[in-house]
Amino acid sequence: MPSDLDSQIEQLIQCNPISEEQVKRLCIKAREILIEESNVQVVDAPVTICGDIHGQFFDLMELFKIGGTCPETNYIFIGAALPSPTCLVPMNDPGDFVDRGFYSVETFLLLLALKVRYPDRITLIRGNHESRQITQVYGFYDECQRKYGSSNVWRWCCEVFDYLALGAIVDGRVFCVHGGLSPALQAIDQIRTIDRKQEVPHDGAMCDLLWSDPDDITGWGLSPRGAGFLFGADITKTFAHHNAIDLIARAHQLAMEGYKLMFDQTIVTVWSAPNYCYRCGNVASILELDEHLVQEYKVFQHAPSDVRSVPLKRPPADYFL
Amino acid sequence: MADNDAPIRATDNDAAIARLSAVQKGYLVDPYIATLVPRAHLQQPRPPLINIGTYLRSRGIDDLLDAWFRLAGGRKVQIVSLGAGSDTRFWRLASGTHAEQLHKYIELDFAENTSRKAMSIRKSKVLSAALGSPDAVSVGGGGTTLRSPVYNLLPVDLRTPPVVSLEPLLASGDEPLLSPSLPTLLLFECVLAYMAPSASNALVQWFVDYFGSPGSSGLLGAVVYEMFKLGDAFGRVMLNNLKSRGVSLPGAEAYPDIASLSRRFLDLGFTAAQALTLREIRSRYVGPQELRRLSRLEMLDEVEELELVLDHYCHFVGRSDVWGLVTKDQVGSGDDDGDGFGP
Ligand SMILES: C[S@@+](CC[C@H](N)C(=O)[O-])C[C@H]1O[C@@H](n2cnc3c(N)ncnc32)[C@H](O)[C@@H]1O
Ligand SMILES: [Mn+2]
Repeated sequence: MPSDLDSQIEQLIQCNPISEEQVKRLCIKAREILIEESNVQVVDAPVTICGDIHGQFFDLMELFKIGGTCPETNYIFIGAALPSPTCLVPMNDPGDFVDRGFYSVETFLLLLALKVRYPDRITLIRGNHESRQITQVYGFYDECQRKYGSSNVWRWCCEVFDYLALGAIVDGRVFCVHGGLSPALQAIDQIRTIDRKQEVPHDGAMCDLLWSDPDDITGWGLSPRGAGFLFGADITKTFAHHNAIDLIARAHQLAMEGYKLMFDQTIVTVWSAPNYCYRCGNVASILELDEHLVQEYKVFQHAPSDVRSVPLKRPPADYFL
Repeated sequence: MADNDAPIRATDNDAAIARLSAVQKGYLVDPYIATLVPRAHLQQPRPPLINIGTYLRSRGIDDLLDAWFRLAGGRKVQIVSLGAGSDTRFWRLASGTHAEQLHKYIELDFAENTSRKAMSIRKSKVLSAALGSPDAVSVGGGGTTLRSPVYNLLPVDLRTPPVVSLEPLLASGDEPLLSPSLPTLLLFECVLAYMAPSASNALVQWFVDYFGSPGSSGLLGAVVYEMFKLGDAFGRVMLNNLKSRGVSLPGAEAYPDIASLSRRFLDLGFTAAQALTLREIRSRYVGPQELRRLSRLEMLDEVEELELVLDHYCHFVGRSDVWGLVTKDQVGSGDDDGDGFGP
C-alpha cells in the first residue's frame, strides 16, 4: 500500500485525479483510520494549523511551500477543503469546468491520501462544507460527476466526511474547530459524547461546532448563515477559562489579512485560501505553533497563475456588471 | 476601433443573465427579461451571492424610482436610461402603478445593442403590446432605432460630445423628444464606470444645462448604480479580472470613495446628492421579513464575502433643484429612516 499510495500522492500533487477504483480504496482505508479517531483529536505541538482551502489546489501547493511538506510538518486542517457555493460560476459549456480552476476533488483527495499515508502527521477536521447537502447543491457533486462520469466518488467522499473529527486539542491548550462554540456545550469533554458519524444536522451541538462565528456581541446571537450561532467575547472567555485553554483556533470566515485575533487573543480565525474565489484580493495564512505553543502566523499570497506549464486558467470571477 | 467596445457592450449580457437568474430563483419578479435573453431556458443560474446582489441592485433602483414619481407629484415625468442594455424597466413601469405618469421613456445604448433589442421587441408580442398601437411604432436607422409614443430606443455612443450626439436626438425641433419642462430622471445603471470621467461629466453637464436653462421648470434627478472603491485589494483584483476580458473601468477608478461620488455630482450643478452601498441597503433597508424570504430561496453561508462584494457597489441619487423635499422613502420594506431624493 504505501508505495502504491506514494505514487497516488505524487499524481495528486501534479493535480491529476486518481482512478475511480483508487478513490474507492482510499476512502475505505481513510474510514478505517478515521473511525478510530475521537471527536476531538489529541495532537502534540509543534503543529501547523490551516483554515479554509476551498478547492484552490495551487494555493494549497503554496501553503506546503510556506509551511513545509507532510510528514515533515505536522498539520491540522480545520475544514473546508471543498469549493464554496459562492465561488462557483456555472458554465454553459461543461467542458470548461475542469480547466477553470476547480480542483476540489484533487484538493480533498490529496489531503485524504496524506491522511492515510501519515495518519499521525495530519489531522483533518470537518467543516460545514464537508456535508452531503452543501456539496450536492453546489459544486463538488458536479465536479465529481464531470471528472468521473458518475456520482460514486462523491458518495464515497461523503461517507468519509461522516467520519472526520469535529475538533482537535493541541497539548491540551489550543482547541481547533471549524466554526465555533455551541450553547449546548460548556466543556470540550461534552463533545466527546456526540455520535458524529452522520450527516451534519441542521441544529444542535455538532451543527454549531461547524457553523458558528465569533462576533462583537454579548452572549449568543442568531447567525445570519441560517445555522449555528454568533457568540461574544464573554462566551469565548468563559469557555476558554472552564476548559483551561489559551486559544480557540477556527476557520470558516474570510479574513482579509489571512488571520484575525479577537477577544484579547482568546480566539483566532485562520483563513488559508488567498484571493478567495479568485475575487476577494485577500492574503492567506497558516498558524504555526512551536513546541511551547508560541504562535507564528505565516502569511502567503495566491499562487502565480503560471505555476503549470500551460497557463492556469482561473475561474471567471463573477461581478455585477 | 469599434471592436474595442465589444467587451463593454457584452457587459449587457452579464447584467441580463444575472437578472434572469435572480428571476428564475425567485428573488425578483420580471416577466419580460426572458424575452430579451437569447436561449433563456438554457442559461444556468448565477451563484447565490450574485443573485442577492442583483436583487439589491434592482430593488434599490425600483424604490428610488418610486420615490422619484412621488416627488414629481401628479406631474408627468420623463426617464432617460443611459446604457440601457437589455433592461426591462420600461415594461415593468408600463404595467405598474406609475404607468399613467410616464410621459417618455428613452433608452440609449450603442447601435449594436439597440438593434438587438429593437429586434427582440418586434419579435415579442408582449413587449410590443406595451408600446401602444402598432401604427404609432416605427423602426428606423437601419433597425437601430425604435420610436413609439412613450418608449424610445436610440443608438448613441455616450462618449461623443453631447452637442453632436445627444442634442440632435433629444433636443432638436420645436417639440423635442425630451421636454425641458418636465421632471426628468437620468438612470445610469452600471454605465458611467466604463467611460472616462471627462466624457461622462460632459454628458451629465449637458442634461444639467438643458434643464437649467431659463424657461425650464423641470426637475432633474439622477440615479446611478456602479462599482466604486477600486483602490483596495478587492478592487484591484476586480480591475485585473475585468481587464482580462477586455473591460476597463476608467469611470470607477476615478472615484475611490462615497464622498467623491457625491462631490462629483454636486460639482456638476446638482443641489443634493447621496450614496448608499449595496451592503448598507441590505443591512439597513431590507426588512426582516424580506430578508427571511431571501434566505429561504438559496443557501448562502459566506457572509463576509457577500459583504465584501456588496461594499464595492453603490446606488447613488442626486437632484438638481430646490424643489420641495421628498417624502421619506424606504428601500425594501425596512425601517423608515429612508434615503430618497432628500438632501
Ligand atoms: C453593464 S451594462 C448595463 C445595462 C443596463 N443598464 C442594466 O443595468 O441592466 C452596460 C451597458 O452600457 C452600455 N454602454 C457602455 N458604454 C457606453 C457608451 N459609451 N455609449 C453607449 N452605451 C454604452 C453597454 O453597451 C451596456 O449595454
Ligand atoms: Mn465554513
